[in-house]
Amino acid sequence: MEDQHSSPELFLFLASTVHDMKNSISVLSGTLESLLAAEQARADIDAAQNAPAYLQMAQMLYQTKRLNDNLIQLLALYKEVGKPGYPFDVQPQLVAQVVEQVVDQEKILLASKGIRLETDFPLELIWTLDEDLVIGVLAHAINNAIRYTKDTIRLSAREVDAVLELRVEDNGEGYSQALIEAGSAAMNGMQAGVDFSTNSTGLGLYFSSEVAKMHKYRGQSGSIALANGGALGGGCFILRLP
Amino acid sequence: MTTENKGSAIEAGSTDWADKHYLLVDDFIGIRILLRESLRNLGARHIDQAASGGEAMKLLAKTRYDVVLCDYNLGEGKNGQQVLEETRERNLTAPSSVWLMVSAEKSVESVMGAAEHQPDAYLIKPITEGVLLTRLNRVWHKKQVFREIDQACLEKDYLRAARLCDAQIELNKLHELELLRMKASLLLKSGEPEKARAVYEKVLAERDYSWAKAGLGKIRMNNGEHEAARQIFQGVIVENKYYIDAYDQMAVAYQLMGQHEEACGVLEKAARLSPNSVPRQRNLGLAALKIGNVPMAEKAFRKCVSIGEFSVMKTPDAYLGLARVCGMKNVAKEALQWLLLAQREFPPEQIGLRAKITEGMVHHETGDYRRARKCGDELEAMLAEDPVRPEKSICMELATLLFAVGVKDAPAGLLCYVVKNNHDNQVVQDEVQKIFDKAKMGDEGASLINAARKEASDLMNKGVLLWKTDKLNEAVEWMRAAREKLPNNLRILFNSAQIIVSFLQQRGYQQALSEEAMEVLLYVDKIAPGQQRFAQLMEQLLQLTPPPAPEGEAVVLEKAVAVTEKPAKPVRGRVG
Repeated sequence: MEDQHSSPELFLFLASTVHDMKNSISVLSGTLESLLAAEQARADIDAAQNAPAYLQMAQMLYQTKRLNDNLIQLLALYKEVGKPGYPFDVQPQLVAQVVEQVVDQEKILLASKGIRLETDFPLELIWTLDEDLVIGVLAHAINNAIRYTKDTIRLSAREVDAVLELRVEDNGEGYSQALIEAGSAAMNGMQAGVDFSTNSTGLGLYFSSEVAKMHKYRGQSGSIALANGGALGGGCFILRLP
Repeated sequence: MTTENKGSAIEAGSTDWADKHYLLVDDFIGIRILLRESLRNLGARHIDQAASGGEAMKLLAKTRYDVVLCDYNLGEGKNGQQVLEETRERNLTAPSSVWLMVSAEKSVESVMGAAEHQPDAYLIKPITEGVLLTRLNRVWHKKQVFREIDQACLEKDYLRAARLCDAQIELNKLHELELLRMKASLLLKSGEPEKARAVYEKVLAERDYSWAKAGLGKIRMNNGEHEAARQIFQGVIVENKYYIDAYDQMAVAYQLMGQHEEACGVLEKAARLSPNSVPRQRNLGLAALKIGNVPMAEKAFRKCVSIGEFSVMKTPDAYLGLARVCGMKNVAKEALQWLLLAQREFPPEQIGLRAKITEGMVHHETGDYRRARKCGDELEAMLAEDPVRPEKSICMELATLLFAVGVKDAPAGLLCYVVKNNHDNQVVQDEVQKIFDKAKMGDEGASLINAARKEASDLMNKGVLLWKTDKLNEAVEWMRAAREKLPNNLRILFNSAQIIVSFLQQRGYQQALSEEAMEVLLYVDKIAPGQQRFAQLMEQLLQLTPPPAPEGEAVVLEKAVAVTEKPAKPVRGRVG
């Protein structure tokens, strides 16, 4: 708390800049989503999806989402450099509602890229978690899977031995060994080998592992892992919360 | 306002959002357009927009909105929290309405739970349609779960509300935690700390929650275990440094232990983490004033005035505090300017007496004894003119000043009035004795205190005797007269209500008497919240009340909300 004085002006400047940026990105992605949704609603969907303008808009939306992801992460990670960090806030939530909100955030982007999203989750399960952070991690994992998948992504949730296991799987070629190692390195707090300046996946993994670790219950902490195989035989991102 | 089909909609987990009236508040037009589109896609037709806090207040005063989506950062003027506070203070939205606060990032304010007025939910940008709908439905469902509990709270029937929490926990696993939190706070308000402790401990056995730990700390503090309480609050802060409520509570614990330097230090840390709270800056200013830290007091009071400019929470304490600060810095001229400003900002009945007291103090402090004496004379005249006495702390401040400027009878009378209204409160009597001692009237003061105490207890005992000998008519009458003489004596107020309740139980229900008892009880809860007897008597009284006719419901509600600002019955004739 002693570092609060370090540079309040800088913090205020950054905070208000981020506020502006998030407003602009909100408008940008919102507008793109409604344009894409309007195209998708048209009868001749195949023709639409092959039109160059449509594909370019889909790409714009994808990049905008990535930009937004990174901003959210930077905001959450900014605490590392000593300013008011993220106020962690766990509440009992319906897992089904968490999944629903992730699906809603991603559905237009996925449809625009012609990717199918499967979900599988128990309807009644209640879990205690920080909803905004977990939605952020899962949406990020899906944005990431878009790069690797062939045509399907699967988002699933289930309780395994008193742990909530959330999985984002795809039917692509799977993750490289280096990435899988980066995943476990992020969990072990070893940031070596992940270069934030060139590798946004590294930043995402670091953010996700931080979110997982913040969730603690009865001496256990949450974790993340990257693997290959899974239900669709491709890459697989796993978030486990106690 | 809108008829909601409760039963079926709860199961479906949704309601019809199309017919609701919406208000969008954001200073960025792009966001307003985006949100308006999302709401239209949900079927909404009545959507108003505001680009600033001021504009939002104008619209809120005109229309009863069902849903308000408000950005936290609104540029110049009021911020979202201040718009919410003013709306709630002025009752501009119905209890069933939904308030969603929107921000670019999760704010500290959203989880520390210190602000008195909380929105129903916080949303982080970017907001997609599905998230908006999910959160709206969730809030709506939660409002249904809490509907009867909130109604019981409005009627101040805290014990019934606590039982309703238990009933809802059975039905709603998802809301169990919030229901337990509510139940614990209701038990605390009902003067049942042991039962509240059991609830907090049950929650903590499952998981560490700052609010539950802080709750245990508050119970310890009320129990007089100040150091134990302080350690609990310290522990909460170590684990969750954003839980601002723990800082405020820790400062109270330090103050109760007489460690004012430490109290001030804790408040300063809290104010640094969350600087935009008017009450916190005021408390910091007052604490700094107490330990003579003039620069810190000045800084806090100035901040308090500036953030209070657009807030309904603005307080005369900051203006009076700045006048004191200027007096201490020996700039009487500036002090008087702050007093003038205070009188311009606040109504005379709220500020008149206090401004004059502060003026006297400033003159006294800067060595202008002639002007100080003149203020004393004016205050004496004001007291003679209006028999209604201000609250305890102002009475004592006033007596201290009057003694200092050489007036004798008026301050002694004020102090007797304080003792009579607190005849079984040793702490207050010790404070009064100290004021007498300082005025070199120790012995005379001691006998005055004794006489005042005896007068009050005689007054009360006579009423109890009438009651015990079954002379209920006379007992009610006697206590009514006692209340007029001592409008702030808790035991007399409680006994008065108790006797009326017995009367109603034995002689049958009478609306006028029931209303009289209700008025007395609501007044007690306002001047001294959290009393066990309040909750018990309130429950008994409401059980005696015949069930209201369907359209009568709203009347009960409004009555319960309108807690009287003045003592239940104005004091007639000079007391003292």
